[in-house]
Amino acid sequence: MINTLRRHASLVVIASIGVLGAAALWRRDGGDAVGRALFHAWELFLFIAPSLLAGLLLAAALRQLVSPGALARWMGAESGWFGLCVATLAGTLTPGGPMAAFPLVLVLAGAGADRGALVAYILGWSLNGFQKLLVYEVPLLGPEFAIMRTLITLPMPMVAGWIARRLPIAWEPPR
Amino acid sequence: MTAGQAFLWLVALIALGFCLRRGPGTLRKVGTETGQSLVKILPMFAVALPMAAFLAELMPADAAVAWIGPDSGFMGVVIASVAGGFMPGGPFVTFPLVLAFSKAGAGVPQMAALITGWSIFAVHRIITWEYPVLGWRFVAMRMVSALPLPIIAGLLAELVVEVFPITLGVP
Repeated sequence: MINTLRRHASLVVIASIGVLGAAALWRRDGGDAVGRALFHAWELFLFIAPSLLAGLLLAAALRQLVSPGALARWMGAESGWFGLCVATLAGTLTPGGPMAAFPLVLVLAGAGADRGALVAYILGWSLNGFQKLLVYEVPLLGPEFAIMRTLITLPMPMVAGWIARRLPIAWEPPR
Repeated sequence: MTAGQAFLWLVALIALGFCLRRGPGTLRKVGTETGQSLVKILPMFAVALPMAAFLAELMPADAAVAWIGPDSGFMGVVIASVAGGFMPGGPFVTFPLVLAFSKAGAGVPQMAALITGWSIFAVHRIITWEYPVLGWRFVAMRMVSALPLPIIAGLLAELVVEVFPITLGVP
């Protein structure tokens, strides 16, 4: 029950905003404007669809080919900047949404990654995940912007991981 | 098809080739998993893309200029960073909305801050995934370590834009 809710919570929120938006647009500009907006959404979908399919295929293939646990032995508490770098790269290469990435944090923690590496891993995934970048950011916002933002944020997960190792917050991975 | 899309397909085909070398069973698993992901994602698309399109139509042409326009400076970067954290949903919501904001006059550094803020804070993702899987202590540790990063990203982007005139959207 909680799981169903969790899975559909954002769907419900987004749908409610969408219905309110449609109603407001209808009142202001009439039914034609609503139809035009729906057509724009359809065009956008057709534009993203090819990369979406390629991204999902690649994500599924990578899950078969790479085992993240094997990388964790380079991410221990004594691994220094090298470990943070490996963790950031692993995050960047992790495909899929939060339902895939957060459980992987537990796998990495169990295999020996320390908290700094885990913070770097999560931020590498959420800031510069290749799937988000290639499926959405490059086609929609243009390659120039996507490359600039990626270059600027590339070292950030490592810096955050370095800080996390020094924070006085005790954290043990849940069993 | 854009260059980025062609590159993505090329990488995907290479990865599929490696799967095939491990045997047809692996390739079949990839097919099944892709199908399952599509079933999960398509309903999200059906709801999120029209939502973004309605909001884009509703937004007046210069609505974003005052708050997060190119001349909004440091305050604009801060506002965009915070707003990014509260954007609901995955990339299929955020990126179409960023496109809509930029058509309504938002600045490039502010949008870099917004995407970074969304990537790092994403409140809905913390509530639905990070807290239940990893606990509050991990959330606190990650938030403290990453707190200033969206603002730094926006300020760095401001420096870059002064040298290279980067624009948003596909030319």
